[in-house]
Amino acid sequence: MTIRTLAAAVAALLVAGAAPAWAQHRPNNEVLIGGAISQTGQYAEPAGRQVNSIKMWVDEVNARGGLLGHKIVLRLLDDKSDTQTAIKLYEKLITEDKVDLILGPYSSGITEAVANVTERYKMPFVAYGASASPIWEKGRRYIFNIVAVAETFQKGGVYLAKQIGVTKIAVIGQDSLFPRQSGKGAKEWAKKLGLEVVLEENYPVKQTDFTALLQKIKAAGAEALFSNSYFADAAAQLRQMREQNINFKLYSGTVGPALPNFPEQLGATAEYVLGFSLWEPLPKVLKHPGMEEFIAAYEKRYGEKPNYHAGSTYGALQVTEAAVKKAGGFDPEKLRDALATLDIETVYGHYKVDAKGMNSAEGLTFQILKGKRHVVWPDKWAETKPELPMPEWSKR
Amino acid sequence: MERSDVRSLYRLGAFLAVAYSLPFGVGLWAGTVHANATWMANLASVVLGGIAQGGVYAMFAVGLTLIFGVMRIINAAHGEMVVMGAYLTWTAFSVLGVDPLLALALTMPVAFLFGMAVQRLLLDAVVGQPELTALLVTFGLGLVMVYTAELIFTTDFRTIPYAPGSVRLARGIAIGQSRLISFAMAVVITAAVYGFLRFSRLGKAVRATALNPEVAMVCGIDVRRIYLVTTGLAAALAAAGGALVSIQFGFNPETGIVYTLQAFAIIILGGRGHYVGALLGGLMLAVLENLVSLMVPNGTAMVELAAYGLMIAVLLIRPGGLMGVKEG
Repeated sequence: MTIRTLAAAVAALLVAGAAPAWAQHRPNNEVLIGGAISQTGQYAEPAGRQVNSIKMWVDEVNARGGLLGHKIVLRLLDDKSDTQTAIKLYEKLITEDKVDLILGPYSSGITEAVANVTERYKMPFVAYGASASPIWEKGRRYIFNIVAVAETFQKGGVYLAKQIGVTKIAVIGQDSLFPRQSGKGAKEWAKKLGLEVVLEENYPVKQTDFTALLQKIKAAGAEALFSNSYFADAAAQLRQMREQNINFKLYSGTVGPALPNFPEQLGATAEYVLGFSLWEPLPKVLKHPGMEEFIAAYEKRYGEKPNYHAGSTYGALQVTEAAVKKAGGFDPEKLRDALATLDIETVYGHYKVDAKGMNSAEGLTFQILKGKRHVVWPDKWAETKPELPMPEWSKR
Repeated sequence: MERSDVRSLYRLGAFLAVAYSLPFGVGLWAGTVHANATWMANLASVVLGGIAQGGVYAMFAVGLTLIFGVMRIINAAHGEMVVMGAYLTWTAFSVLGVDPLLALALTMPVAFLFGMAVQRLLLDAVVGQPELTALLVTFGLGLVMVYTAELIFTTDFRTIPYAPGSVRLARGIAIGQSRLISFAMAVVITAAVYGFLRFSRLGKAVRATALNPEVAMVCGIDVRRIYLVTTGLAAALAAAGGALVSIQFGFNPETGIVYTLQAFAIIILGGRGHYVGALLGGLMLAVLENLVSLMVPNGTAMVELAAYGLMIAVLLIRPGGLMGVKEG
């Protein structure tokens, strides 16, 4: 074997290895769309609602005659909320299953890890499950943001704190990527508005007892508490605040209070709590096109209104569908360019990314009042005036 | 008691004194300790909170330690049994409207039967086999339980808004109603089981089987029946722990693993198979965690470090755990 044939063989192998997945011809005019989402594990709950939207979108597109005339075959794997598993599954989806289109995973941490894989194979996708901005600060070309970034989650809460004359705040959060980012944002907004951060502390993911931390926050003189938390930790904090009769003028959570069953499960303890939502199923308030139809269809199928996880996923899929149409096929490179230049309205809101691949979506801050969430910030979307400061526990 | 045993107890005492005063030292240095009545009241609240939390930890641990003590089986599905108890309580509360405490009368027998079924169908086959076999079987059982729960209840978090108020013990010292109730329940239930093991005929047979199954058999004890009772009891204890979880924390089918790990850490600390050790271990961990969280700057991020540090140090001094007897 001469050097030349060897070189040719190697080159051929390289070309074969790098051949885009879309080149694979599938039987029955099908197109394979795949992703790994946490159907079990700690993220199962929010990710489950994303799965709902994905399944609904696939059925709708197939009922419409498919994507560019191809029937969608969905391959959803379960990463068990584990980063390493997710990396392996995406590697498998791209190299073994040779999917034509990639769907993103859930959570900023997992998306960040998976982005390395998708970037290597040049597979573009809209990251509906990630809101930590560092993902887009590494010069990646094939990942696109749609939801508001974590740093803006506490913006409304900080503005409202300023409005009611709070000067000292505490910022706490679960010790993982996303809560740390939203905590960082809270501190930045506080600095901008001249509020003093008197205490900042993270706690382990498994923490269930916050008595000591709450006492410490009170002793530090904080008037408002910004908690970058999920369901279990936010619930425990509020309960223990009530138990210890620790009062703040404002308690602003992030993801926990936004879960549909938070007020219902916690009862009166959840009253007056601020939370953040990337989106709410409020067509009359947000006025995004197609919202009413989407909400009605989702509610009919799943028996509940879509929350923001469902909304952002559906929006991202609308973007993906538009990009496929614009690209005229599944060529990853053309798809990437389409995603980078698209300018469209979805049920989730406006999509138009900057050079880094970031959309400039805005979220909304709500308050739980009488067991219902009401948007209180920003003003243009506010349904009602916030009831702040929170009444003391003893006066409720 | 052997001399080396006594010596290790002294060393343990000295170490614990240092370990528990360390957060105070750090607090003094960092200026988070104040010598006024308000802060003292805070400290008291926090220690009380820790004790209450410890009672709940202990509830998780006693069931695990029981199975291990009697059968040398590490039940990896223990946390899932706790979650099962939480769901049973939640269902009784939100569907049937039964008070979570009264629901115990319903959930504990159900869990007891479930435990017996697990013993008959799965564990009987692996008693006396290498420990890894039992670990795998119970791990598999845990997975089945998680997915079954997800099918029935979805992955949404649940909790029961029960007794959310506060009990004022003195000026500035308060403890949550639900915590107080949980703690009292934990004490009553563990004491009852302790009494059962200590004084009843069947309990004595359980202990005899734990000491030496062959000799127990020779003495006329039906060892298979004892195993059945043990796992039933452990599952009932787990379910009671689950009731406490349901009124204090949020849970979903996935949270079980947290309780398994916590329970496991506690029984290692307390001495594997040792009932009182599990109680003591639970209290010690929770109180230390709270002290670190209260006084050390950014201490809440370090509670796991403190907890596992304590565990390692105790094991270095006494390899069998706090109450552990030498194996061998």
